[in-house]
Amino acid sequence: MVKAQSATPALKHLRRARPIIGLIGRRTLGSLAAIVGASIVVFILLRLVPGNPARAVLGQFASDQAVESLTNSMGLNEPIYVQYYRYVADFLRGDWGVSYSTGEAVMTQMTSRLPATLELALAAFALAFGAAVVLALLSTYRRRPWLDGSARGVAAFGLGTPPFWIGLVLLVVFSEYVPFFPGPEGRLSSGVEPPPKVTGLYTVDALIALNPSTFLDAVWHLVLPAVALGLAPFAFLMRLLRANLRDVAGEPFILVVRSKGVSRWKTFVRHALPNAFLPTLTAGGLVLGQLVAGSVLVEKVYNWPGVGTLVTNGILQQDYSVLQTFILLTAVVYIGLNLIVDVVSGMVDPRVRTGSVDTLG
Amino acid sequence: MISGLRVRRRDDTPRRAESRVSDPVLSVRDLRTEFTAREGVAVAVRDVSFDLRRAEKVAIVGESGSGKSALGLSIVGLVDKPGKVVAGQVWLNGREISRLGDRELGRIRGSEISMVFQDPMKSLDPVKTIGDQIVEAIVTHEPTLKRAAARRRAVSLLREVEIPFAEGRYGDYPHQYSGGMRQRVMIAIALASNPDVLIADEPTTALDVTTQAQILALLGKLVEQHHTAVVFITHNLGVVAQFCERVEVMYAGRLVERSPVGKLFEHPIHPYTEALLNAVPRPDRRIERLQAIGGFPPPLTSVPPGCSFEPRCPLGHGRAICRDAKPVALELQGGEGAVIAECHFARDRWQTAAAT
Repeated sequence: MVKAQSATPALKHLRRARPIIGLIGRRTLGSLAAIVGASIVVFILLRLVPGNPARAVLGQFASDQAVESLTNSMGLNEPIYVQYYRYVADFLRGDWGVSYSTGEAVMTQMTSRLPATLELALAAFALAFGAAVVLALLSTYRRRPWLDGSARGVAAFGLGTPPFWIGLVLLVVFSEYVPFFPGPEGRLSSGVEPPPKVTGLYTVDALIALNPSTFLDAVWHLVLPAVALGLAPFAFLMRLLRANLRDVAGEPFILVVRSKGVSRWKTFVRHALPNAFLPTLTAGGLVLGQLVAGSVLVEKVYNWPGVGTLVTNGILQQDYSVLQTFILLTAVVYIGLNLIVDVVSGMVDPRVRTGSVDTLG
Repeated sequence: MISGLRVRRRDDTPRRAESRVSDPVLSVRDLRTEFTAREGVAVAVRDVSFDLRRAEKVAIVGESGSGKSALGLSIVGLVDKPGKVVAGQVWLNGREISRLGDRELGRIRGSEISMVFQDPMKSLDPVKTIGDQIVEAIVTHEPTLKRAAARRRAVSLLREVEIPFAEGRYGDYPHQYSGGMRQRVMIAIALASNPDVLIADEPTTALDVTTQAQILALLGKLVEQHHTAVVFITHNLGVVAQFCERVEVMYAGRLVERSPVGKLFEHPIHPYTEALLNAVPRPDRRIERLQAIGGFPPPLTSVPPGCSFEPRCPLGHGRAICRDAKPVALELQGGEGAVIAECHFARDRWQTAAAT
């Protein structure tokens, strides 16, 4: 039965091509297009808002002349595409405008507050994602009814309860009755100096500065707000992964793997998990995006100096340059996270990589 | 034939030496499998016994829901909750395997006894390459094997199941293979460690007719070369005639008739077997219409107290003995070509058949 069975060189080359590079290229282009689209939407929305920005800046008692000259100097009389071009160019240069309610540059405001929100979001996400994966794995692999039941109970609670309320309850219980965690005093205890700024994340910066006490203090302050903020995403991700794991565990190919003599645990880790993980990964990206966009109420409860407060104030004061920057930045973060998720999915699932549609299912 | 497989088995000699050639390679004794559901306990396999000789091909035939697949899974200990093998023994190569834990059974599954399943489209992990999935079957039983050697073995297995460009298609993913090719891969996986017994659970049912014939021919050729005994679970009597030497007819969790394949087609003893044959188009007989079997198999949660086929039986329906008394398995002919039927009228029907 010795047949000549080597593929022709051309065929071989096709098969060995790395589709993952192509995937990254395609998705990056798509993401850039999405960001441009988002910037156009933000731009147009702000033009549609009634009222003259110059009038808003100067107040209702300013003379028409003054408004006129400010309108001109703000470039509001120029054609719309020139305005858009300016807007994009300024944004890229880092000139994000001035908040006329405080007179500060928006860039300064954002960079001073965004790291706080980012740190809280990342902590909440790590907590939610990690706990969701561990609990979903345990409850499906071990098939202990009590474990499954309690995990689902916590999940139902997390999904049905507003995070600010959880935040308040956590404060009352773990800071008032049992004074273990700090009260609503922001990111560090009073008297503790913030570490020298590198990333803006206090925990990371404290580690970089080799300052363990500041690090612990920062972590200590993160726990309660992160739990409050992460509970709902935890519940969502846990339920998603649990459902997918159970579905995959019933697939015929799992039985086939078992019939090869592979143990239950190895089958679970090597085959069930990679197949069940994809939806959770995708959802995880979106959840992180939402967390980064900030939780105004949780930040308020914990006096967290994040963008949440800045944005609420911006809305109340009609401070458009703050808002448009925030919206665009959020869009960029969202799209960026989606790009990462897409690429990771491509690494996990060959069908995403080659873009082929399969009838499996 | 570059079957680089037969030579390489680690424990070839001791396993074969233990048992004499005439001994059955697989013995199932009083095997009982129950599924606990809200409606009650469904007995999918009801005290089933049968033997499989070395390199023999036996068909287990029955309608959907007769317990065929549950029997196959029970033998290898892969019945999952809420199902459970509650009684009986399974002997493989002279060793009882029904009492073994999952770890020891894992050493036997895929090496001494393997399975091919019904739906090749769903039988392969979509996110792993074909090659990796074959290699997994090999290295699970030979953990010391070098990666490159395992790869060579996997490629030669792909060649053996006649995948064109085996080398180039080793790294493909399942979605790049057709249904027929995937079933070839499943056969390669099942035969990777040269097992003594192969349980094929409707391996051609999900395929189109031309592909069915090819897969069947391939399977036949390979089990011949590897001296593998086959339990062929199917509802397709045409396939049975073509592929198997012996038939076990399964109804409501019981094996109700056992017969050599020729005899079964000529003189079915059990009325259920006869009804089954009447429901199949047969080139050797001219009949006006195919006759469907009236009614449905009884729910496995509440099988009739007498003969389980009584409510649908053209012969016994309404008779007191069939309704009230469980028929015993009657051996009508012993030895290699044993004929056994579980029917109150088996003896009469056997004599009538002998007279004609």
